[in-house]
Amino acid sequence: MKKLKLKVITPEKLILEEEVDQVSLPTTMGEITVLPDHVPLIANLASGDIVAVSGGEHVPMAVAGGFIEVKKGESGETNVAVLADFAEQVAELTEEAVEKAKARAEDLRKKMENKETVDFEHFTAELEKTLTRIKIADKWRTRKYRK
Amino acid sequence: MAGTKEIKRRIKSIGNIKKITKAMELVAAAKMKKAVSNALASRLYAEYSWEILSSIGRNVENIEHPLFNEREVKNVLLILITSNRGLCGAYNAQVGKSAVAFLKNAESDYPGASLSLITVGKKGESLFRRLGKNIVASFPDMPDNVTLRDILPISSLVLEEYAKENYDRVAVAYTDFVSPLVQRPNIKQIAPVSRKELKELLQTIGEEKSKIKLHNGNGNGEAKASVQKTDYLFEGDQNALISSLAEKLLRMQVYQVMLESRASEQSARMVAMKNATDAAGEMIEDFTLVFNKARQAGITREISEISAGMASVN
Repeated sequence: MKKLKLKVITPEKLILEEEVDQVSLPTTMGEITVLPDHVPLIANLASGDIVAVSGGEHVPMAVAGGFIEVKKGESGETNVAVLADFAEQVAELTEEAVEKAKARAEDLRKKMENKETVDFEHFTAELEKTLTRIKIADKWRTRKYRK
Repeated sequence: MAGTKEIKRRIKSIGNIKKITKAMELVAAAKMKKAVSNALASRLYAEYSWEILSSIGRNVENIEHPLFNEREVKNVLLILITSNRGLCGAYNAQVGKSAVAFLKNAESDYPGASLSLITVGKKGESLFRRLGKNIVASFPDMPDNVTLRDILPISSLVLEEYAKENYDRVAVAYTDFVSPLVQRPNIKQIAPVSRKELKELLQTIGEEKSKIKLHNGNGNGEAKASVQKTDYLFEGDQNALISSLAEKLLRMQVYQVMLESRASEQSARMVAMKNATDAAGEMIEDFTLVFNKARQAGITREISEISAGMASVN
């Protein structure tokens, strides 16, 4: 069976580099699933979860903002590059980290009420990031996935 | 014994300087470690984003984004990244030299074009103020630990001015971090995304990727693959997508060169301070030898004086 090469990269580090069977991504226009031999594509990412399927196992990742590029490699394989502003594997999102993120979201929200315009953009981005982490961690808590 | 006191004082002061340079070396080494790991981590992202940006530029013929349109060059902007503090060897001098060379080339390439500068760091600012160049903006307080947020003012300033056609060509002079012992001053054009430079860029990236082995050394293959023309499917409004992409990528470029420069600065400082410490150690050794000789000469002279005195009494 054909596979696709998936790379998830953030400015801080390489989150995942693996050959997978398929991957679902949250784009700004809705969720899409990329299978091998997908046409070349460029799309913006929304926040949500990227789910790669490898050997029947789900590999979920929380992601907030960025874009993806799907293209054909030299030997005909399909490359999927995800350049995310923020991304994290759900397996690495521990309970403790989620608790911290929750506290942080509360904190940010309070700060946002006080400030009107100062750094608003930055705050919304931070808030979005922390909220996404919480949401995705909650979503995958009861499901099965590859740890 | 007049000379020995003087020498003793010098040995002591050199010892104090050695202590300071040693401490600075250790501080620089610790900072370097962090800066280097940051630079290496974001390199992959930056390379990928360049690749994507360039493949869009090549594949889509009529993009309405100014970042892809080459205009007649009337105004050139150079962003110069230097450090705030000295004592880092030839780091600032080298990047300053390459910036001066760039400006000279620009003068002959585009006769009549006006040249402006944005400086990051105090050293570059004072250098080009002395040379009487036109500095339009200066960012003197960039923290040691640069985050994406710190460079936002620079990237948005560049994007804004470029979109307003105040500048037709924007380049950055920075220092590429090769290894702790080797840093290479470099000039990179960030706007417009030109086709000619793109080709060179893809080659250098290919080289570097295989050199650094960030991922399995398949960089060359990838760089080649992206040269092929692909028709991309764009999700949503193509122009909106491209402009948001272009802005994000330009920001990333500025971030990346900033990280590279910081890593280079700290390693240049570490090496310079290590050399200074070694030199101080050698000097102390030399002076100790001179001191001991002077001391011995003094004792010998005293003894001969005493025995001469004894002889004359007897």
